[in-house]
Amino acid sequence: MSENVTTGTIKVSPRAIASIASQAVLSCYGVVGMSSTRLVDGIAEVLQQGSYHRGIVVRRSENRITIDLYVVIEYGTRISEVAQMIMQSVKFAVEKSLGMPVAEVNVHVQGLRISSDD
Amino acid sequence: MPVNTPDLVGAADLLSALQAGYTWLEVHVAQVNALNVFPVPDGDTGTNMALTVRAALDEARGQEWTSVSELARAVAHGALMGARGNSGVITSQILRGFARGLDGYKEFNAAQAAHALSEASATAYKGVMKPVEGTILTVVREAALAGTQAVAQGADLAGWLTASLQAAQHALEQTPTQLPVLAEAGVVDAGGQGFVFLLEGIKRFMMGETRELVVPAMVITEHHVLEDSTYNFDTQFIIHGQALDVNAIRERIAEFGDSVMVVGDEQAVKVHVHCDDPGLALSYGITQGRVTTVIIENMQEQFEAFNQPPSIKPTETAFGKVGIVAVASGDGLAQVLTSLGVSVVVPGGQTMNPSTQDLLVAIDSLSQDEVIVLPNNPNIILTAEQAKAIASRQVVVVPSRTIPQGIAALLAFNFQADLDENTATMSEACNNVETIEVTRAVRTAQVNGFKVEEGQLIALLNDDLTAVADSMEQVIDEVMAKMDLDKYELVTVYYGKDTTAEQAEAMAADLQNKYPALAVEVLDGGQAHYFYIISLE
Repeated sequence: MSENVTTGTIKVSPRAIASIASQAVLSCYGVVGMSSTRLVDGIAEVLQQGSYHRGIVVRRSENRITIDLYVVIEYGTRISEVAQMIMQSVKFAVEKSLGMPVAEVNVHVQGLRISSDD
Repeated sequence: MPVNTPDLVGAADLLSALQAGYTWLEVHVAQVNALNVFPVPDGDTGTNMALTVRAALDEARGQEWTSVSELARAVAHGALMGARGNSGVITSQILRGFARGLDGYKEFNAAQAAHALSEASATAYKGVMKPVEGTILTVVREAALAGTQAVAQGADLAGWLTASLQAAQHALEQTPTQLPVLAEAGVVDAGGQGFVFLLEGIKRFMMGETRELVVPAMVITEHHVLEDSTYNFDTQFIIHGQALDVNAIRERIAEFGDSVMVVGDEQAVKVHVHCDDPGLALSYGITQGRVTTVIIENMQEQFEAFNQPPSIKPTETAFGKVGIVAVASGDGLAQVLTSLGVSVVVPGGQTMNPSTQDLLVAIDSLSQDEVIVLPNNPNIILTAEQAKAIASRQVVVVPSRTIPQGIAALLAFNFQADLDENTATMSEACNNVETIEVTRAVRTAQVNGFKVEEGQLIALLNDDLTAVADSMEQVIDEVMAKMDLDKYELVTVYYGKDTTAEQAEAMAADLQNKYPALAVEVLDGGQAHYFYIISLE
């Protein structure tokens, strides 16, 4: 992710992109947490604030940016719609901040949070 | 229908009240949609909320409910299954909380209603990590709070309703002060407005302020009523205005035909009539105010279609073992897909938003054990995956993002190959097609580095905004100029509902002249929103 400007280059680190993405994801309705990318013993680890970037994988090849998000969604919501919102929000937020197109946003629903009174 | 607001509400009244809320929202759908702050016309808040509530009420239909607890639970379940868009999901959460609040009750009083609304608000807030104030969440919360306070001060059901609605309306008016983007656009929050309409409809019904809006609207949108009418056209529209005289309008409309249903109030009147010249009814409507949501259908065709449930009936295919389900956004496109071997076409509707249920019904209607689903829209890919997860037969989703991709995939289908091989070749075929969609911007915004003014024409290349212009010719020229045309041979132009055949032919001829190396074909797609969907291969 670098742009060539007449006076130099601008490089944006994957970590920075992940931060932008995490802000967008967490404000999406239905998302109640970020999760680790790997399942330990079949269970996803819910990430605490400060570690959210571990639930986001940003890849780039040439000019293609791909973002993979690992999230926990609230049980009882329509997952396909929530995931759709996540993809749109993250794509919009990252493209707006970077000014560069995002090729793919993939949502991995690692778990559902069941509220205490269900 | 209560004349005096009762002190205890049972299941039958609750259902009627919810229907009244839905009807009031539905009548104002266009108004809610207009509050959206994004430039592309699909996926609107009003439509999404209305569809979600409608799905919720459909779940409750056809049964005698004896307890509000069970009714509310069914409604919540329907909302979950039918939730569309962000606002739909939040609405489903609100209904879920409301049902939880009524758990165990046969009837409820003011105090219990206040509790249920508080639960609704709490559940809605639980669904997101960082609740954004200035949205529907704020409106629900304020309504619940005011309702609880009113009841604590001894209010009855009428008092609870009035207090809750008032607080909701006030909170809605405050939303521009909480979200800068609303202030910039000069609007209140769309989701909040949708909720206010729902609550308002319920309140008006419960307090006996409208007697007519409840049942008729549900009947009209279903088209299950098959009247023996001698007229040809089923004509419906909504008139928006000031000081509308419902009775006078009804009398006049009755002169045009029969099966007259005119309901509403001073600001919105829904007209339904069977007549021979819909133009007359519309012309009259236009003299009364602003006419929207015009639906005119040829009843002879409807009658024929009624006898065979449309589009869920699988056509005979030569493909034997594998059935194909595809989503289309227009009649012409549906026909193209069917002619290419699609077993069942699911109509995507105005906003290309079929629910998981719609896809499941289509999948289940097939006789084949193996099914391929072509969503033809990025919004639908996930819904398709969900249907696949729930379906009992073997389903594969080929992630086509546009109709041209879906068509390319269909052409790549080989009935002699097995499911895995076909999935691979079809997916690859999707990637070899470029899709251009041309539509009109519904709002001024900045997207992808382009400054778009409301009303300008925009061209999307594979879902990315690529060109903006004031004329059709210009916008198409610009987008074509950005492509490496040496790579393509065949251009197929599908023209939509808002484009005439002549316009399409003229545009195609123009393209052919400018790019003689390309073979240009024109087909009637009949899709809404997009003047042209152009595929390049």
